[in-house]
Amino acid sequence: MRKYLFVWLKSASLSAQSNLQQKGGALMFIAGKFIRFGFFLLLLILIGERVSRISGYTLNQMITFFLFFNFFDIFGQAFFRGLYYFRQQVISGEFDFRLAKPMNPLFQVLTRHTDILDIPLFIIIMVALVKQAVGMPLQTLGILIVLTAAGMVIVTAIHVFIAGLGVITTEVDHTMMIYRDLSSMARVPTDIYAPSIRAFLTFIIPIGIAYTIPAKAFLGILSSSLIIYSIFASAVFFTTSLLFWRYALTKYSSASS
Amino acid sequence: MIFFKKYIQIAKTSWANGFVYRLNFVMWRIRNVIQLLTIYFLWFAVSSNQDKIFSYTQASILTYVLGSSIIRAMVLSSRSIDAQGEIASGDLSNHLVKPINYFIYWASRDMSDKLLNILFAIFEITLLIVVIRPPIQFQTNLALIALFAGSVVLAAILFFIFSFIISMTTFWYYEYNGWAQRYLSFVILEALAGGLFPLDILPPTFAKIAIVLPTAYFIYFPMQIYLGRINPTQIVVGYAVMLFWIVALYYFGQMLWKKGLKVYGAYGR
Repeated sequence: MRKYLFVWLKSASLSAQSNLQQKGGALMFIAGKFIRFGFFLLLLILIGERVSRISGYTLNQMITFFLFFNFFDIFGQAFFRGLYYFRQQVISGEFDFRLAKPMNPLFQVLTRHTDILDIPLFIIIMVALVKQAVGMPLQTLGILIVLTAAGMVIVTAIHVFIAGLGVITTEVDHTMMIYRDLSSMARVPTDIYAPSIRAFLTFIIPIGIAYTIPAKAFLGILSSSLIIYSIFASAVFFTTSLLFWRYALTKYSSASS
Repeated sequence: MIFFKKYIQIAKTSWANGFVYRLNFVMWRIRNVIQLLTIYFLWFAVSSNQDKIFSYTQASILTYVLGSSIIRAMVLSSRSIDAQGEIASGDLSNHLVKPINYFIYWASRDMSDKLLNILFAIFEITLLIVVIRPPIQFQTNLALIALFAGSVVLAAILFFIFSFIISMTTFWYYEYNGWAQRYLSFVILEALAGGLFPLDILPPTFAKIAIVLPTAYFIYFPMQIYLGRINPTQIVVGYAVMLFWIVALYYFGQMLWKKGLKVYGAYGR
């Protein structure tokens, strides 16, 4: 465990140095992330000024969903940015070197790069959520922590699935962007979508569970059955993703090495 | 005619190229559908049980959302964003020694890319209309339809010049292969072009500023014409502002190109 922590800290530190080497570009990326966040927040506020409830949710509740979306979205982007470089490793055969190292290759693939440029917005969102959570009953807080952990496990599992697909098909970038687009549907509560889309986001690619159930727990509008389902789904989804990754490795042909 | 022949051939090659990477293209279109669904259902939920929201009826706001998706395909789809990569990598040198105009080269490639995207966008929107049956406002006034079509053509020209200017900043600023400034422009475009929301829902002062920026003419202005939400005077003024931006940005782009070539070092070659 200490070995993995040491490697992650080292690679995260190197990633940060690499990002900060190009200061102007880094600033533009950070500014872009804040502007995008600000524009959608502005849209929600403008709508909230005119409409008291959207699909039964108030403006403040909509903003809470949006904050949780950003929390999970940035978590995936910041900590698993290494996956964005994975395709090149597969098609060039560089992945062979990862397999030969005395360290889990999946860990290396996912955490090869940590995106420090996502961290400023991540911190602000964390502060905004923690500030709202102050004074929350301990039991609700406990459930929230468990569901947030379950959400993070699902986000990790989705990245594992994409890595596995990358090994089999050598296609990572578009799959990643499709996941990003699908997850952006959770910027708002998934209840606003048609039942078929909602079912897809809950049972097929459980973005709805990962992104919106913790928000519902936070708002105190979650049924106990959904809490159990969320924990169960995250465990099943994560286990399946690991099995899929193992299967994908058996299909790796090391073609270009 | 010989002059155009080579560019027609470039457009044909680019069209064929689109079919070589079929999976990439299909996935790109899937992404567009997902983005459209997100915005569509948000506005559907917002406009449900309301007579009007921000002076838009449910039919007009949903027509705005669906229409802007088609306009996106016509105006914002572009291959010419790859020009920044060529400048950053030094591949621009390959073009400079060829007897072709670099702008017309990319304009030709853009045309075929737009055609491909438009065909898919029309198919997708038709499919969505059949499946989800949204309330839609069909424009029957032929003059408005003609003015709408004209504004879309001008918007495509304006975006081409705008996008090229962003690419040319790579002459001076080639960190991340020019992607930092491109990303920033995408983020700003997402809102200020009117794809996320119509600009007239902004507070009046911000709306007034947003409407004179060139970005407002990519999606927002054509859709306002289509929906018949602006009067003839506003249409004339809008066209005038659009033409002003086309001319101004064209000359600005030309100036950047000349200055850029002077600092171009063909790094990486």
